[in-house]
Amino acid sequence: MADTRSELVQGTLEMLVLKTLALEPMHGWGIAQRIEQLSHDVFLVTQGSLYPALVRMKRRGWITSSWRITENNRRARYYALTAAGARRLEQERASWHRASSAVNDILRANVIPATA
Amino acid sequence: MSTLSDLWARFCSVILRGREERELDEELRFHLAMEADARRAGGAAATDVDRQSRLALGGVERTKEDVRDARGTRLLDDSLRDVSYAVRTLARSPGFALVVILTLALGIGGTTAVFSAVDTVLLQPLPYQEPGRLVRLYQHGATKPGDRGVVTPVHFLAYRRSLSSFEHLAAVLTYSTTGEDLTGGDRPERIQVLPVSADYFDVLRAQPVLGRGFEENEENGAPSVILSHDLWERLYHGNPGAVGQALVMSGTPFTVVGVMPAGYTDPMAPGVAAWVPLDLRPGLDASNVDNHYLDVIGRLRPGVTLARAQAELDALGATLARQYADASDMRASLYSLKEDVVAPASRSLKLMLGAVGLVLLLVCVNVATLLLVRGSARSHEFALRAALGGMRGRLVRQMLIECLVLAVAGEIAGLVLARLAMSAIVTLGAGSVPRLDALTMNPGILWFSLAVATASALVFGLLPALRAARAQPIDALRAEGRALAGAQGQRHVRSGLVVAQVALAFVLLVGAGLLIVSFHRLRSLDLGVKPDQALVFELHLPEARYDFTARARFYEDVTTNIEQLRGVRAAGGITRLPATGPYHVWGTTPLTGPNAGKEHGGIGAQQRVVSGEYFKAAGIPVLEGRAFDARDDASVPRRAVVSTTAAAQLFPGVDPIGQRLRTGGFDWEVIGVVADVALDVEGRVAPTVYHAHAQFVGDRNWALTQVVSTSGSPEALLPAIRRTIAAMDPALVLYRPMTMADAIGAGTAQRRLTLIVLASFAAIALLLAALGLFGALSYSVKLRSREFGVRMALGADRGAIRRLVLRQGLVVAVAGVMIGVGGALALSRVMASMVFHVQPLDPGVLAGAALFILLVGAAAAYLPAHRATAVDPRSILQ
Repeated sequence: MADTRSELVQGTLEMLVLKTLALEPMHGWGIAQRIEQLSHDVFLVTQGSLYPALVRMKRRGWITSSWRITENNRRARYYALTAAGARRLEQERASWHRASSAVNDILRANVIPATA
Repeated sequence: MSTLSDLWARFCSVILRGREERELDEELRFHLAMEADARRAGGAAATDVDRQSRLALGGVERTKEDVRDARGTRLLDDSLRDVSYAVRTLARSPGFALVVILTLALGIGGTTAVFSAVDTVLLQPLPYQEPGRLVRLYQHGATKPGDRGVVTPVHFLAYRRSLSSFEHLAAVLTYSTTGEDLTGGDRPERIQVLPVSADYFDVLRAQPVLGRGFEENEENGAPSVILSHDLWERLYHGNPGAVGQALVMSGTPFTVVGVMPAGYTDPMAPGVAAWVPLDLRPGLDASNVDNHYLDVIGRLRPGVTLARAQAELDALGATLARQYADASDMRASLYSLKEDVVAPASRSLKLMLGAVGLVLLLVCVNVATLLLVRGSARSHEFALRAALGGMRGRLVRQMLIECLVLAVAGEIAGLVLARLAMSAIVTLGAGSVPRLDALTMNPGILWFSLAVATASALVFGLLPALRAARAQPIDALRAEGRALAGAQGQRHVRSGLVVAQVALAFVLLVGAGLLIVSFHRLRSLDLGVKPDQALVFELHLPEARYDFTARARFYEDVTTNIEQLRGVRAAGGITRLPATGPYHVWGTTPLTGPNAGKEHGGIGAQQRVVSGEYFKAAGIPVLEGRAFDARDDASVPRRAVVSTTAAAQLFPGVDPIGQRLRTGGFDWEVIGVVADVALDVEGRVAPTVYHAHAQFVGDRNWALTQVVSTSGSPEALLPAIRRTIAAMDPALVLYRPMTMADAIGAGTAQRRLTLIVLASFAAIALLLAALGLFGALSYSVKLRSREFGVRMALGADRGAIRRLVLRQGLVVAVAGVMIGVGGALALSRVMASMVFHVQPLDPGVLAGAALFILLVGAAAAYLPAHRATAVDPRSILQ
């Protein structure tokens, strides 16, 4: 299987985690899986970037965590979105839309050579 | 909010470090297991799954490191490491750490405890509404404006009627005879009762929680009583139905009309249990303009100043002087009640405050010296670490933390010490210093002393580190030995600090020495009585069962019965014991002799009523004529015995026996002269006129304190005396039995409190100075040990080096003492009002203090000198 997956665009991991948790509380492995699935296996979420990000987001009060039993009977730390996290997600979504549509506008533009 | 939760999360992760790590571990293992499951489900070979998963996920340790960083606890982690490093460093020099901690603890503990006492007693307002408007009114003779004398009822009633400056004016009778017996319980009990005029509680703005206050129409001896909250709880178990019930006091039923709120403290008599209406009917003593016995307090109308009220009082006084010729030279003065209540204690408390300030200063100097010396000693270490690439910021931070650890340890110990010292002060001062029972720790001074201590620890601890951080490491390393002994400048700073320590300690020592000498002179003062082998107790006869003939008979009988007990030399009673202060100061005029009929021939004389063989029992010699005996009863003309001073003032130059005088509304013939006795514990003497109880019993229900002199131990006699009195009347209370020495020594309790506090301060100061001196000298000797080694190796005599070090120490001590003498000179003005029978610059005290300091200095210098020369020079030079 040729690996066509790539690292996340810089700075989007937190937004994607928040989005994932907006659907339902989830453990770290599940979050990584969900992001990979939803991106149709384009994005790769490594544990080396995921767990530090989760700790940072928890510190900022966007998510909370608790230990629960998974469906196949393992103990796992589940993360859930807080109200502050939901607000943060909206902000990030809005600024992402602004930024990406701006980038798209630039890329779509027909470049007219500057002529005299 | 998010910052807060962030801090909280960081804090938790430091505290819960172990748990966080375990959980992270478990979380990552779970991740691995899920990855492996997924791979197995995808059909991977079972044997290889784990390895593949691990490879796919990347380094676990690296992830953990990143997670730890993400927790944001690095700074805290480092600080914790610094703290534990600091504790380990300090533990390597436990002597130094202990001395600094002890110094801080003594300073903070002593300062906080004593200042709290000063604040509670001196600086806090009276616990009543608008205390600034409360005043005290005193009468005094026209020629003695500073005197604070009690007031006659005639004047009080005139003031209350006419003065418009006052919202309320009230009188109370605080004489210690105002007690009543409660005989309803299992055994007779005596409580303190305060007779007050109707608006007394209005003046204080303190109203009963149950029932009512007194009305003016009850100022006729009406049998009404207001109970303190405590007494109400004790007698009626908090039952509101108590109001309206009858309470039998000394055989007379009183109606309970009110109950005061819990926590109400009376400014005039703090231990009082009940209040009764003051009897102000004309015709009793109340019509006598020469009979001073009322304490008068008032509340000024809003906006009226003390000066305006005084002016109105002066104008009224002039009118009254014309109206009453007998009291024409009486004046009255107003004082702020707060100043008046605390006046007796204020001097000693201010002195303590000064002592506290000196000790705190000494603590700072001491801590500074110790830290600077230690800093110099470690400059080599700092330089080495800087040279090896240690970050300077880190070095300074570490010193900061070391100082903080010291400061916090010292401060915790200080708080503990403050608590202990405060309960000790309350115990020592109970009863003699007003309002001390309300003592609480003052948060202001606590924070102040904590701040001062922390600041001095930080500043003087950081200075050497900062200097080391600035300096070029190579210079410091090259200079080694010489730099360690301290550059000239540093050494001067250190010596200066040690000199300051010695000077401060000297001043405190002189202050304490003067008070100790004063106290000793006070205790060995001849009061004119023999208090050591006498027992005293009070007996109060209830008027309901004892009319005046019965009282006259009882007081003579009780003396006769007690004198029959084995071991009793003599027994007698008196209205107020010697050396316990003025009492019944009445205008007394000679009717015969050279001063008879002269305008200023009269004097204010202390009046005492005596029974039995009082003079013999108290050890007062009869110098001329005779003492009272059975002949002097109601059937013969009134007779008086006078003191030497009274005789000299009333009848100068003539034989006093047979002369006649007038006092208390009667004429008296002098039949004897007795030696003077002290009026108070300071040995002051006042003219005194004695009356026989049997002749004066009709005047009022005199409460006689019985004095029984014995050949053995006074206490051993008590059971026999109790039996004797119970046989005469089982319902009587033998009130407050104690040795006469204790009874008249009570006046010295406040002085003793001051003395103990000051003496402990002096001891602390001396200890601190000795520690500082020892610490500074021993360090500098240690730093110069290389130099000494070289000198000895080159043939220097050990003795010469010892003398050098010793001389250095003594020079510092002598310089400190010389500066200290200047301080003592400045102190002498304050001390002049505190000392007793000793000069504020008593040469003996000064010399003693100096000798003490020099001895301590010599010892502090000798030990390090001895140690410095006891070593083998080769071991140092290697």
